[in-house]
Amino acid sequence: MDFILNPFITLVTFLYSVLGNNMVLAIIVFTVLVRLVTYPLTAQQLRSSKAMQQVQPKMKELQEKYKNDREKLAQAQMELYREHGVNPVGGCLPMFIQLPIFIALYQAIIFALAATPTQLLDLSGRLLLPGLDSAIPMNNSFLGMNLSQPPNTGNPIALAIIGLVVVTTYLQFKMTSPAPQKKTDGKPDQGAAMTQSMGTIMPVMYGFFALSFSIGLSIYFIVSNTIGIAQSWLMKRNQPPATSVVTAPPAGARDKTARPAKRAAKSK
Amino acid sequence: MKSRLMASKYQGAVAVLVLLLLLLASCVPLPLDPRWASVSLVDNGQEIFFASHDHVTLIDPVDGSLVELRDSSGNVRVDSETGNALTWRVQIQANPATVFYYQPITIDANTLLLPSFSRRFYEVDVEAARILNPEGRLINADTDTSYIVANVLATDDTLYVPLSEGDVTAVNRDDYSERWKFDTEFGVWAEPLLVDGVLYVTSLDHFLYALDADNGDMLWKIDLQGAVASTPVYADGYLYVGSFGRKLFKIASDGTIAAEFEVKNWVWGSPALASDNMLYVGDASGWVHALDVSGRDMRLVWERQVAERAIRATPLVADDKLVVASRDHNAYWLSRDDGNELFRRELVGEVLADMVVVEPGENVNIPEPYVLISTMANDEALVAFTLESGERRWAYRH
Repeated sequence: MDFILNPFITLVTFLYSVLGNNMVLAIIVFTVLVRLVTYPLTAQQLRSSKAMQQVQPKMKELQEKYKNDREKLAQAQMELYREHGVNPVGGCLPMFIQLPIFIALYQAIIFALAATPTQLLDLSGRLLLPGLDSAIPMNNSFLGMNLSQPPNTGNPIALAIIGLVVVTTYLQFKMTSPAPQKKTDGKPDQGAAMTQSMGTIMPVMYGFFALSFSIGLSIYFIVSNTIGIAQSWLMKRNQPPATSVVTAPPAGARDKTARPAKRAAKSK
Repeated sequence: MKSRLMASKYQGAVAVLVLLLLLLASCVPLPLDPRWASVSLVDNGQEIFFASHDHVTLIDPVDGSLVELRDSSGNVRVDSETGNALTWRVQIQANPATVFYYQPITIDANTLLLPSFSRRFYEVDVEAARILNPEGRLINADTDTSYIVANVLATDDTLYVPLSEGDVTAVNRDDYSERWKFDTEFGVWAEPLLVDGVLYVTSLDHFLYALDADNGDMLWKIDLQGAVASTPVYADGYLYVGSFGRKLFKIASDGTIAAEFEVKNWVWGSPALASDNMLYVGDASGWVHALDVSGRDMRLVWERQVAERAIRATPLVADDKLVVASRDHNAYWLSRDDGNELFRRELVGEVLADMVVVEPGENVNIPEPYVLISTMANDEALVAFTLESGERRWAYRH
């Protein structure tokens, strides 16, 4: 992990020293840079997720059709993916590639904000550019708070930061998760229900993290979420209308996702 | 049916949450101890005082066992319930967040003062190994994010308390009331040094300050080109101290730099000065530098990379040998002449704490001097080796 972590720590320290010894500014610029560099991966992940969402009704139809023949089901699924140019791991792979990067980004901030002697000692030898030693220790005060410490809940600014973490996490989740669907038989889809409950639980969980971890990390969460929201919004805005890969639902089923398919079928 | 659906819905959500928690657990570095243990000698080495984490103990230098508690007649006190002998161990029961990493201060024949990381002073009844003020006495109540991260310097009437953020605070020894406070931009992470009424304070703000010990007035300050986290060594009118700017400085007592020497990485530990004017310092890359400091300059005699990781602890001078210990889990015995490794001893944990030598004496029944090395591993919280040959004598498990 050090091969990613040390350049990141060096970059945070460098940004801190060129941005007027301002740690918050350094965290913001650092997060923006990393999110921009990993944008192609994020975009691919969002596109794959969208494509998978679009073939889902057809997929469910196949599952119903071949429910007693797993082998044929697998073949039909692969054929469907091929037909629509969908890579089944296209959504996960970029996420897994990004994961170590985001873990390193997160840890770089923790290291850079070293608050105790053992943490500060761990920073030695991680700075890869000569001359950055003079930037240590970094000034970690921000609006009267210590960025290396968890927030004091008596401080309204700290509470506002926690609130922003919760809100931006919720919005990002909403922007990136697929719209809830129903099964072709009209019953609620379990996966969609789970996604919905995650949408409620995740912001609360991140709020808890913001309460427990350093304020510097909350800044990172907010900036990272905001960029994620902006990226999703831009992608959605620039995306062409969904292609028709779904089939007509059974009579009586009021499935919003099936409507374009009806229109597409008529146009044929 | 509905309840089954709900159950499966939440099972899925819980599974994803568990995965997320595991992911975040991997994101957060393992919680580190904020500091390393403190090892010091009591009654000329009759007992070893060991402070780490949430408790402090007295250890017998003969075999590394805990010292037994005795009553005024000298009889071993026993636990009334178990019948086991009681040992000298102090722990704050009420506040698990209170941790001790510093040398104790002797208040009187039967009272010790324990500074805690959380900026509180606790008085201990030595005979009963019992804390007299369980709430502790808070020092410098103005701040809520500052900690004591280094030893407190004690004189007959004053305690000089270094704090992790900002300042050094002088308090009266009798009632701990504040006498004066001196602010630095960042924290004071090293024990101050007192020489002839001048208090030398190093700070992470890159400066070495000379203060009037009586009132905290600044006499001079000097920029050491990097954060300073160690106590200077004073000899013959000069101060020796290293900084994170990868330099070691020789500073005259008027605040001018007499000489400086470039090392390979941060210097965190204080240098060791031998009686023949040889100065030894380790750095964060595992190098040891030996300098002849006689005269106004510092002349390199030898330097070599001894360890694979940082050397934080101050080297130990022992006749013709030098002992250094590193974060790479090794203690090295070197020749003082050329730095060649004579032998090394492997340890379970990283060494960050300064080493201590305990000498045989009237009440110290050991055959030869031992070097005490504390590691960050609980299995070898404190290990005793013979100073001369490095034979392992005992280990204290935390």
